[in-house]
Amino acid sequence: MIFWTTLLILHGLLALALLGAITHQTVALWWPVRAPAGSFVARFRAVPGVSYVGAIILLYVLTFVLGAWIYTQYRVTARLSLEQLRFFKTVGIFELKEHLATIGLILLPAYWAYWRQPLSQEYANARRSVTLLLALVVWSNFLIGHIVNNARGMGS
Amino acid sequence: MTASDKIPGFALVFGVAYAAIYVVCTEINLPLITYHPVTGEIGLLRQLAKTGPVMYWYGWMLTSFVGAVALAAVASVLPQSWVQRAIAFGCLLAAAYWIFYTISLFVYDRATVELEFLQFRSLSLGAATLTATIVMFIAPRHWQKRLWYGWIWIVPVGAIGVLAYYLAPYFRQ
Repeated sequence: MIFWTTLLILHGLLALALLGAITHQTVALWWPVRAPAGSFVARFRAVPGVSYVGAIILLYVLTFVLGAWIYTQYRVTARLSLEQLRFFKTVGIFELKEHLATIGLILLPAYWAYWRQPLSQEYANARRSVTLLLALVVWSNFLIGHIVNNARGMGS
Repeated sequence: MTASDKIPGFALVFGVAYAAIYVVCTEINLPLITYHPVTGEIGLLRQLAKTGPVMYWYGWMLTSFVGAVALAAVASVLPQSWVQRAIAFGCLLAAAYWIFYTISLFVYDRATVELEFLQFRSLSLGAATLTATIVMFIAPRHWQKRLWYGWIWIVPVGAIGVLAYYLAPYFRQ
């Protein structure tokens, strides 16, 4: 059990780092600063988005692989308990998490291609869209992970 | 066109095709492999539960990956206009099918006489194919000349919508 708990904590920490990176990049892309950054929010918006691409891809893949591994344990332990307790909405929302994670993963090649240097104006709109969608996927999965863990996760 | 220029197009078709195939795989359960988490066994194609539950998710991803790579490879040697038309036609077909099938089931549920034919998916599919063909024919030619990279979010968002709809029974219990 310690092994799976450690993996789950690691998965959560990677997800947290990913959440920070993708949020930073998305805000900088969709709401860029026009004047020199002064406040905390302005500095948050002023980061160069392109420098996050490699880290985001690596973090997403690592988080995904760990999640896919932990999923095998969830399937034979937590999920059975959730079904016995008739927590079907929690089971359903976790099913959605697996689909969202897959959709996020398949966006990565396009995400990488549209962020390649030098940034092409031809892909500007696609770059904004795919980054926002990836951010929404990461946020959704982070929140769903918390909900499911609260229902029948670590230590329960 | 260099190999480097083809990367965005390949990535686009890969993402779009993967999303579409993945939805089909989850709907009709088409895994290339089945994982049995209790025993740790991996079996080829779809297998029934032996000891404990089975997991098809890895298999769906693998099926979709193989299909998407094949389609993206084919698309990378085709003219952009053909790829654009194929994706547009596929999206129109999916949207029209969803509209026709929803209307058919709505009418079937409320009809005072038995209209069993409205339940046939082939009927909605036929109507959707015809509609998509007509729309493609009347759509402005310049829309079909170049590949539109916005498909990379339209199709996955549509796929998420369909996948969420499939999960609705969990939320009705």
